[in-house]
Amino acid sequence: MASANIKVRVFRFDPSVDKQPRYEDYQVPFQAGMSAMDALDYIYQNLDSTLAYYDHAGCALGICGRCTGRINGKPGLLCQTIIAGDVTLEPLSAAVVLKDLVVKTGQ
Amino acid sequence: MDRVIETDVLVVGGGGAGFRAAIGARQRGVRVTLASKGPLARCGATPMAGADFTLDGRSMSQIEGLAGDPNDSPEKVMNDIITQGCFLNNQKLVEQYIRRAPQCLRELIEWGIHIKISDQRMIFTTGTGIMDALLRKARAVGVELLEDITLLDLVTDDGAVIGALGLDVRSGDFIEFRTKAVVMASGGWHKAFWPTTGMRDLAGDGLAMGYRAGAALGNMEFITFCCNVFLSPPAWMGSIAPYVLSLLAGGGRLTNSLGEEFLQKYDPYTVKVGITTEWNKSFISHATMREVREGKGSPNGGVYYSRGDVPWEKIEQVAALMCPDWRYKAIDLSNWGQMLKNNEPVEVGSAAEYFDGGLVVNDRFETDLRGLYAAGECALGAFGANRVFAAITEMLVQGADAGDNAACYAQTAKILAPGRETLFSLQAAAEEPLRRSDGLNPAKVRRIVQEAAHKNLGPIRNREELEAFRGFLENVRREQLPNLATQSKSRIYNKEWLDALELGNMVQLLEIATVSALIRTESRGVHYREDCPLTDNDQWLVENVVRRAGDGFEITPRPVTVTGMALPTGKTPYLEFMKKMMASHSDTGGKH
Ligand SMILES: Cc1cc2nc3c(=O)[nH]c(=O)nc-3n(C[C@H](O)[C@H](O)[C@H](O)COP(=O)(O)OP(=O)(O)OC[C@H]3O[C@@H](n4cnc5c(N)ncnc54)[C@H](O)[C@@H]3O)c2cc1C
Ligand code: FES
Repeated sequence: MASANIKVRVFRFDPSVDKQPRYEDYQVPFQAGMSAMDALDYIYQNLDSTLAYYDHAGCALGICGRCTGRINGKPGLLCQTIIAGDVTLEPLSAAVVLKDLVVKTGQ
Repeated sequence: MDRVIETDVLVVGGGGAGFRAAIGARQRGVRVTLASKGPLARCGATPMAGADFTLDGRSMSQIEGLAGDPNDSPEKVMNDIITQGCFLNNQKLVEQYIRRAPQCLRELIEWGIHIKISDQRMIFTTGTGIMDALLRKARAVGVELLEDITLLDLVTDDGAVIGALGLDVRSGDFIEFRTKAVVMASGGWHKAFWPTTGMRDLAGDGLAMGYRAGAALGNMEFITFCCNVFLSPPAWMGSIAPYVLSLLAGGGRLTNSLGEEFLQKYDPYTVKVGITTEWNKSFISHATMREVREGKGSPNGGVYYSRGDVPWEKIEQVAALMCPDWRYKAIDLSNWGQMLKNNEPVEVGSAAEYFDGGLVVNDRFETDLRGLYAAGECALGAFGANRVFAAITEMLVQGADAGDNAACYAQTAKILAPGRETLFSLQAAAEEPLRRSDGLNPAKVRRIVQEAAHKNLGPIRNREELEAFRGFLENVRREQLPNLATQSKSRIYNKEWLDALELGNMVQLLEIATVSALIRTESRGVHYREDCPLTDNDQWLVENVVRRAGDGFEITPRPVTVTGMALPTGKTPYLEFMKKMMASHSDTGGKH
């Protein structure tokens, strides 16, 4: 089912070392019905393993609620937001970032 | 050491077994700390579950407001669990399940779960509802709760567990735990497989660290695959929604890539029981994998499910209960609803769901290692070779007793500080992938291992494949694990680092399971060997018990623990024996 690539722009920020956030673009093979999390999994496993998003105990099925973020500016669960083409993925707010798309506890 | 935490009972794992153990221990008045790798009450398999709590119908009928068949009895349940488990069950643990279940259900109701259905011998609620009730109770009794903390290793002294090394996943800080007792409740090891139905925290760390510290593992070759799991679209992959729907609706149509209804080639009685009860996991997974292995599978290694003869009204009725407005948890399944209505097929398959083996415990839930208890899915439990009854009940009855017994033990044990050198060397070992400047990418190695595990340790196995897989794992262990390196050297939420640490545990458990599957030269329950297709009750009514020995491990057969039900003899073809076990079910109805 894999066809053309899409461009996935991801928010990157490690407040312990970076002065300010930046965005990084990745080319990801598109599959119909893929979620934003599927794109992140692809990037992490194939393109850039330094990327952080909450998945060490994620459910990927809309249960744990830890994968909140902005998908093209709109808040939602990364794992259950279906993407249709080029997309920008960000945390809900840069102010509460622990690293990249992972936010601090209680946020 | 970045942080030291002292407690009387340390519970490892924040699923149902861990929470129930923590509550039980705390109710004895000792200090209890529960460390959960993921978010409180939202990690592990428990929140993913449907979920059913199953017990004998007579006891159930005596609980106010519940149905339950008054003609059911503990004896009938005993018969059913043991025949479903193809007689490989530890009968002492089956008795414990039956004895403790009514009280555990009463408590759950008192603690506020919502019951959606009650029938002959089960109630249907939700896994998230159970977790919410347990979390409230744990807070009320004063359990210390830690989230996003992963335990890496246990520390022992003079043959007893005295502490553990943990890692704060967010900060990357090490934590030293000093404790009198540990209850392991770390769940299954779904993460060793891809695809999988489990959450991403279930890497089998608890089994591996218990084993490293000296506890025995048993029956690791028995791995239950759930059938009818979504394989596409990608966002739904691993969801068991079609499994639940097909079970509650009582059927549907399963076809292979040639459009053949492949269940038609099996015995009609086996098919009927294998569709309408939770025998479906073992039977349909077996039948599905056979199609896939014969080259008649779907692109993602499965088959196709559509509603077939089930009337649309019936589907709507089930959906209203299971996924109101076609929302299953937070998944929007409305597209699938439309497909079901039009009788269009979706791609489904079998994927790892439940681990029947685990840490060997006695009926007090003590492992071989003094001070170490185990409960729930990480323990070698009540279900033998095949689970049909409820793992939800199992985790609660075992958690309750394990917590209670661990607290009693802790009341007389002493706090001992783990030796500095031991802790230093554990930390140094854990930091290796972080310090290594150049090496293999942990996530890539993991994915290759996971896919190979799905292929070689699935419902159908044979010697040749198992031996090749064993060689593959040995190579990963020797050549790849020592060379894993994280790209990022930051300690803060470093996924690669965790991947590297978990991978060691997963490869260890896969090797043990593979060798156990090789040794077991018969077919039984969820373990089917193409090259040994008989259920052999003369030679194989034994558990494969695995202990560390030198650099490797040794496997010794242990006769099944029998209390009330005599064991069968003779050799029978696999599916014939399965049919016999299905037909041995008591006269009580229901999905179990
Ligand atoms: C999708 C799905 C649906 C299911 N549906 C049903 C059902 O309807 N009925 C039924 O009876 N059974 C069902 N099961 C099985 C049942 O849910 C599980 O067997 C049961 O919930 C296990 O409970 P547990 O507490 O032992 O483990 P889990 O709930 O898996 O919890 C394990 C805990 O250990 C933690 N952990 C793991 N490693 C570490 C570590 N190193 N350090 C700290 N913490 C750690 C995890 O984060 C988690 O908190 C289902 C299973 C799945 C996967
Ligand atoms: S990963 Fe759990 S809700 Fe998205």
